[in-house]
Amino acid sequence: MMMTGKRLVISALVLALAQIGFLSWIIAGRAAILRSGKEVLLKIEPVDPRDLLRGDYIILGYDISRIPVKMIANIPAGKFSSDDTSIVVRLKKGADGYWTPTTAWFGKAPAPAAADEADIAGHVAEGWDLRGEGMTIAPDYGIERFYLPEGEGMAIQSDMRVRPFAIRLALANDGTAQIKALVDGDKTLFEEPLY
Amino acid sequence: MAGYSTRVRSDIARWLQAGLIDAATADALTRDVEVNTRKSLSFGSILAMMAALLFGAAILIFVAANWDAIPRLARVAALFAIILGGYVGGAVLKARDHAAIGEALWIVAAAAFGGSIALIGQMYHLSGDEASALVTWGAGTALAAVALRSNPLTVASVGIADAWLFLKGFGYYSRSAFPHAFVGMAIVLFAVSFWTRSQAARHLIILSLLCYLVLLAGNHATLPVAIPLAIVSAALFAASVFAPEPVDRIVQLGGRLPLHALLGFLTGLAIIQFELADESTYNSGFGIASVVALAGIVAAIVLAGRESRGLRWLAYLGFAFELAMLYVVTLQSMLDTAGFFLAAAVLLGILAIIIIRVEKRMKDPATGGAAA
Repeated sequence: MMMTGKRLVISALVLALAQIGFLSWIIAGRAAILRSGKEVLLKIEPVDPRDLLRGDYIILGYDISRIPVKMIANIPAGKFSSDDTSIVVRLKKGADGYWTPTTAWFGKAPAPAAADEADIAGHVAEGWDLRGEGMTIAPDYGIERFYLPEGEGMAIQSDMRVRPFAIRLALANDGTAQIKALVDGDKTLFEEPLY
Repeated sequence: MAGYSTRVRSDIARWLQAGLIDAATADALTRDVEVNTRKSLSFGSILAMMAALLFGAAILIFVAANWDAIPRLARVAALFAIILGGYVGGAVLKARDHAAIGEALWIVAAAAFGGSIALIGQMYHLSGDEASALVTWGAGTALAAVALRSNPLTVASVGIADAWLFLKGFGYYSRSAFPHAFVGMAIVLFAVSFWTRSQAARHLIILSLLCYLVLLAGNHATLPVAIPLAIVSAALFAASVFAPEPVDRIVQLGGRLPLHALLGFLTGLAIIQFELADESTYNSGFGIASVVALAGIVAAIVLAGRESRGLRWLAYLGFAFELAMLYVVTLQSMLDTAGFFLAAAVLLGILAIIIIRVEKRMKDPATGGAAA
């Protein structure tokens, strides 16, 4: 019944390596997106200041955080509200260097993005109203937080209210987004190292 | 505890000398006492576990501080080293008969695994909610409990699942779905607890499931949840009282299933009563539920009160609750504040008389039985 000492130590070793391996795999996946993903620049919208700073991260809002329902190309006829589903938003580079959304699809994009375009994958919760022209839905893309070293949040929070900030993203082929840098005008504030 | 086992051992020696038992039985009894004493918590192992929990909290808070004086790759490496050192070091210590410190080190390693998940989220600005991070952490901890056959790690993974349940269940994230997956987690962890011989985890799982059902009743339909809860609890109570040994051989709850079943029964009926209280003036649903609850409490005391002091007190608590409930629903509108105090005094008096009478009855035959 009792595990012998040697076997216990071996299973502990295997367990530790499995957990470390799992964590390393996540890190490697994220670093791969940073290294080889397609780079896009997104304007950050001013978020309600009270919500801006929670602990040591700031909450980010993007243009693509609100997608007008009429931008979604594949809503089935007679559909009243959204399912719990994935969404793909196609971005196009504008003259000012910032990328903006052009079209969106529930599920997958029907055709690959052109050279000056990029797809970002997000997630829509259940129950957004899809009827009516003026409706918008709010997908999330896993990039809505920016963690800062302790104590540096307040300065950036007040700066964000007076001038526009942007986020540089790396996008994997499947649309997974990874934050690369926080940009203040032309100046890069925080550039993320690979690891 | 040590005092008890020494006393039993000297008793066994005396019985052996007096010829009451043979040498084989004496040997078996001594071994049983040894095994069960080792299982009981000592002061030292409690301190070791508290130290481990504090150490784990320190790791998590250190990660949250995002201190940039140490490069983050170094922070990752440090956490990986704690995972490796904690699991392997704990196993070595446990194999060398320092079980308490070994288990404590495993808890530290599990905390480091959770800290690493948080740190990676921070490094890459992953904004997925904390709930999904908890699922990953809990799964890793349950895996560790299975691999190392550890009781504390099983309890820890149940605790993490509970944290997930409450984070989701109380709608901390406004647009998240109701945490139905908790039932699946509970079943898996219940199965794990047999392998890791963790009775504590099983108790915690049953209590957590009860919390889940209360949340479910609040979020969805009350009666379709509460009525089956009361019926299933009553059935479990009956099974565990009329066939205590076979039932406890299956669930292995140290004979405390009736306690859980009574709590489930009372919770189910309380939900029903709250739901029906508003309509109590024009239909009899509330009255029926109250009668069933009171009958259940009496039946519980008669059937299982003798064996378990805890069960008796739970029954008294339920009885007090029922009295208060009946008073609030049926009488409140007719009485003023003075009347309320009078009623409270009368109700408490009734409760006291009943408790004293029952406790006396339970005691008398029991002492008689020991003397006979």
